[in-house]
Amino acid sequence: MAKKVDPAIAKNLELLKASQRRSVKKRIWKYRGFYLMVLPIIVLAFVFNYIPMFGNVYAFTNYNGIKTSQPLLEYLQEHWVGFANFKKMFSTAEFVKAFGNTLFMSITKLLLNTVAAVIVSLFLNEILNIHFKKIAQTIIYLPHFLSWVVTASVFTMILSPTSAGLVNTVLVNLGIVEKGSEIYFLAKSNWWTFWFFMINLWKDTGWGTIIFLATLSGINPEIYEAGDIDGASRFQKMRYITLPALMNTIVIVLILDLAKVMNLFESVFVLQNDAVKISTNVLQTYVYYQTFQSATIANYGYTTAVGLAKSLVGCALVLICNWLSKKVRGRGII
Amino acid sequence: MAKSKVNNTSKPKIHAFHIINAVIFIVICLIVLIPIWKVVVDSLDLKTAYGMRFWPKEFGLDGYISVFTNPTLYHPLIISVITTVGGTFLGLLLSTLTAYVLIQYDLPGRTFISGYLLFTMVFTGGMIPTYLVVRALHLTNTLWAVTLIPAINIYDLVLMRNFFEGIPSSLFESAEIDGCSPIQTFFRIVLPLSKAGLASIGLMFAVNYWNNYTNYKLYINDSNLYNFQMKLRSIIMGSDLPSAAGSATENTVRNAAIMVAIIPFMIVYPFLQKYFVKGINIGAVKE
Amino acid sequence: MKKKLVSMLLVAAMATTLVTGCGSQAASTESAASDTTAATTAAEAPAAEEAAPAAEEVAKPEKITMMVDGTVVTQANGRDAFEARWEELTGIDLVINQPDHDAYYEQVSQTIASGELPDVILLSANYYSSYAAAGLLWDMTDAYENSELKASSRFIGDSVEQGLKIDGKLYGFAPTRGNGCVTYVKQSWLDNCGIKAPTNYDEYIAMLDAFTNGDPDGNGVDGDTYAVSAAGYVGSEAPFTNYMAEFYQDAYPSFYQKEDGTWVDGFTEDSMKAAMQRIQDAANAGYLDPETLTNGTKDCRNKFYEDKFGVFTYWAGTWATNLKTNLEANDLNGDLVALPPIAEVAAGGGYFDRVPPVWCITTACENPEGVFKYFIETMLDGGDMQTLWTYGVEGTHWSTAAETFTFGEGEDAKTYEYAEGEFHMLENLETPGTFYKKNHIDPMLSLAKFEGEDPGLATVADEAKASQELFNNNSHVADLAVTTDAMQEYNGDLWNKKAELIAKVAQNQMSVEDAYAEFEAGGYAANSQAIVDSLNALN
Repeated sequence: MAKKVDPAIAKNLELLKASQRRSVKKRIWKYRGFYLMVLPIIVLAFVFNYIPMFGNVYAFTNYNGIKTSQPLLEYLQEHWVGFANFKKMFSTAEFVKAFGNTLFMSITKLLLNTVAAVIVSLFLNEILNIHFKKIAQTIIYLPHFLSWVVTASVFTMILSPTSAGLVNTVLVNLGIVEKGSEIYFLAKSNWWTFWFFMINLWKDTGWGTIIFLATLSGINPEIYEAGDIDGASRFQKMRYITLPALMNTIVIVLILDLAKVMNLFESVFVLQNDAVKISTNVLQTYVYYQTFQSATIANYGYTTAVGLAKSLVGCALVLICNWLSKKVRGRGII
Repeated sequence: MAKSKVNNTSKPKIHAFHIINAVIFIVICLIVLIPIWKVVVDSLDLKTAYGMRFWPKEFGLDGYISVFTNPTLYHPLIISVITTVGGTFLGLLLSTLTAYVLIQYDLPGRTFISGYLLFTMVFTGGMIPTYLVVRALHLTNTLWAVTLIPAINIYDLVLMRNFFEGIPSSLFESAEIDGCSPIQTFFRIVLPLSKAGLASIGLMFAVNYWNNYTNYKLYINDSNLYNFQMKLRSIIMGSDLPSAAGSATENTVRNAAIMVAIIPFMIVYPFLQKYFVKGINIGAVKE
Repeated sequence: MKKKLVSMLLVAAMATTLVTGCGSQAASTESAASDTTAATTAAEAPAAEEAAPAAEEVAKPEKITMMVDGTVVTQANGRDAFEARWEELTGIDLVINQPDHDAYYEQVSQTIASGELPDVILLSANYYSSYAAAGLLWDMTDAYENSELKASSRFIGDSVEQGLKIDGKLYGFAPTRGNGCVTYVKQSWLDNCGIKAPTNYDEYIAMLDAFTNGDPDGNGVDGDTYAVSAAGYVGSEAPFTNYMAEFYQDAYPSFYQKEDGTWVDGFTEDSMKAAMQRIQDAANAGYLDPETLTNGTKDCRNKFYEDKFGVFTYWAGTWATNLKTNLEANDLNGDLVALPPIAEVAAGGGYFDRVPPVWCITTACENPEGVFKYFIETMLDGGDMQTLWTYGVEGTHWSTAAETFTFGEGEDAKTYEYAEGEFHMLENLETPGTFYKKNHIDPMLSLAKFEGEDPGLATVADEAKASQELFNNNSHVADLAVTTDAMQEYNGDLWNKKAELIAKVAQNQMSVEDAYAEFEAGGYAANSQAIVDSLNALN
């Protein structure tokens, strides 16, 4: 909110100062129309997001997901367990491992995907032939629409250690891997992690470029012309004109995605197998196996506690990065 | 993008760079296409294969025929189209209005509104409490439940705001001087100058609505209100797929269903691209 | 402004309904209950010839609400006709809540959380035991034990129902058995190698060897096939060993009850060590699909259809037909031998029968006796109602009129002709070009015979019938999972470790001894013992 450095926003700052001289009341009156514009989403968010948040109180109980006839307060008192659910979480080595995996895998994934999307956008932007550009864009964005289940089954085949496995076949033909000792990529946790990132890149890089391409289209061509006149090379223009123009969007996308970092589930789940499960578990898969293998319905209190822990971590990550962004660039997104 | 515009007037010089760049993209596209090609081939192949084949062994459209002759598919398709169009409109309306409010830097309470909305991105109530609210409003088994909830998309909203911030503030000032009301400014200046943003955020909303599965799963149990995605999901996941239409095998039908889910976006995207290429023509407004 | 005020009020009102549990509901339910009882007419009990001991009149409910997954005909497949016919046969109003099949348990949890319980609900084994423990399900032990159905000579499912008892009490009723897997061997592969179907493990291994190193697919190349494939070396849910019965034999990797009632962890027994060694040996010899670890069941099926392997342990019954037709669509010989359990498997009780899904009456039901009698018991009445649950509605799902169907066009066209009076299924509304197969009850898995002849048995394909009969005669029911605090606490991690060790041994990454040393050192053996102790403490 506070300091803005962008020239465009500097103007707004002046406006801000000017208006601060007026009283708040007057400003509220001046903006009355705007409050009306923002009212619908405030109400909707309150109804569909804020009211259900009361549910987080169950994180401190052993609520089993069954409605009782007891009044809520009485019920909560009776089933109150304090921080027991949180203690239970962090008391097992496997949970802590899964927690660490979640952070490592999703943040690495986020950085890789964003960097790849930015690079691809920059170079897509340099393609001269409009038709080729359109086709290329359409092709690289398609994988986003395959569901994870389908993606997993196709890649399991491509990474197969048999003759059906394209990757191993290529490696054998290149002489990198000997025939007969093909690598069972998905059965070894290091390879598994590597391919997890690769598959994610394959699936979401193209989709990620959309927002960057839209931003690039807003750059004033005159700036490039000025660059040309100054004799800037292609890469200099990319570095000094295009990339800075993208920077704000990149930071916003990164910070917004951080909020969702702890939700990693399906992509990991569908690619896991017995041999790598323990070493590649993330929070959500871990909780899933816990519930599934104990032959019981979900312990709602416990899963709510896990959800709350995830929210807190996500919130912390967003706040830290927003703060960093303010420090470094003088502006955050909040 | 902007570059190509400039180049349209003076013939572009083709550098070695352009050739290398094009070659790299051809390679990237091929790599991206390989896994999809497997699905395409399998959907057109009447013989089941586990491994990779680059051409169907026995070509046939029976897989697609059995997906499309399914009489219970039209209805979900209509539901999908209605909710996608309606939802995208609603989502864009909410996001653009709010984003416009959020760029009014001296609006009292702006920070509060911004924080209020961002908070919902991180903290959720969970499946059951949300269901209880939806039920208390009598929205279960209505299309409202699956249209309203995804319309609140803070992620898209913040990106929208980012696009609006790119509009030179001098334009707002001159609009104010010309006596434009905020709403007039919104429609005459903000929206026309954010076409690329609207196109990309609109696409994100549309994809969300089209692929919406979770909300239907949780709030709808009347099969008359199922969307296309629910239907396809049951075809794809269905373990007991009968071999339908002529000689299509289980595998063919399944892969055909997967392809059918992708095709709408193969068709729509090229149309949206023109907004990304042209973008806003700031030069024209600058004077 | 007014509108805003109204919406704020609305929201506040909702917040209160959410925060306060609905205390007033109990009272209103009670009054409704008495209303119904008063209004119901005396049950028109069919003149009980056998003069069953339960002579007391059970009131007939006016309305029954049920919640069911996609195993009953769906709305797109003529559910309205089903409902109408059911109501016609009973004179009771039936209200069906049928969420999407894949979303069923999410919606069940939501329904339970919102407190709007249906009268009857179909539950899988896990949910059954959990909800029974939570006191949500009506104890139907007496109703079942005294029922006409149980006394009837048509009923063959008593052992299945007894297996569903929790602490000696029955909370749910299964109209069918759970079904399981049998081992299918391609007849053409046996012929090409000139061998007979194996009857013991040595013969089985000899067959695998011939299938791996010989030329069973007859393409002129030796050794380009493997014998067996499966989706994972061990299943992820009970009964775990069903896809690899021959290798596991009498071994069981999880908790089970011995004959004397004591619980053990089968993973710690010697039989399991021997089983892991067998899997490793077979994998080393190349008999097993090298991708067994990452296979999904769909991958296995596709490989089977592509003639990559020849021995496939898969579901009995309908799947026998599916495997056959898909093989034939690939221009292969579709003849499969459903293997009777080899001697070693038979010694362990034969193939595993899963715990079936069960119909439960909730505690919210006002007239549970009536629902048991008119909803659950009638399901297997041996007459019209059983036909309805098994085959669906006449004229919608099946018919006995003279008819001809032509599916497909041109050379692919298939014609089916039925004479007057011949029972046959009708064309599927949702998937044209196919016939309906069954309604909720699979005729081959049903726990009660029809009075007289099963009207539609002829519609079951021969190979499905054969494999199902083989399975039914050679299987035993898996134990119902029991859950304890220790189980909840440890079993998730414990099971993942077991599965990892099995996979690593199978992949020859470690020896069986090393695996057990790791199991011990990681503290898993101690956790396993803790669970065993907690289970034994229940007895």
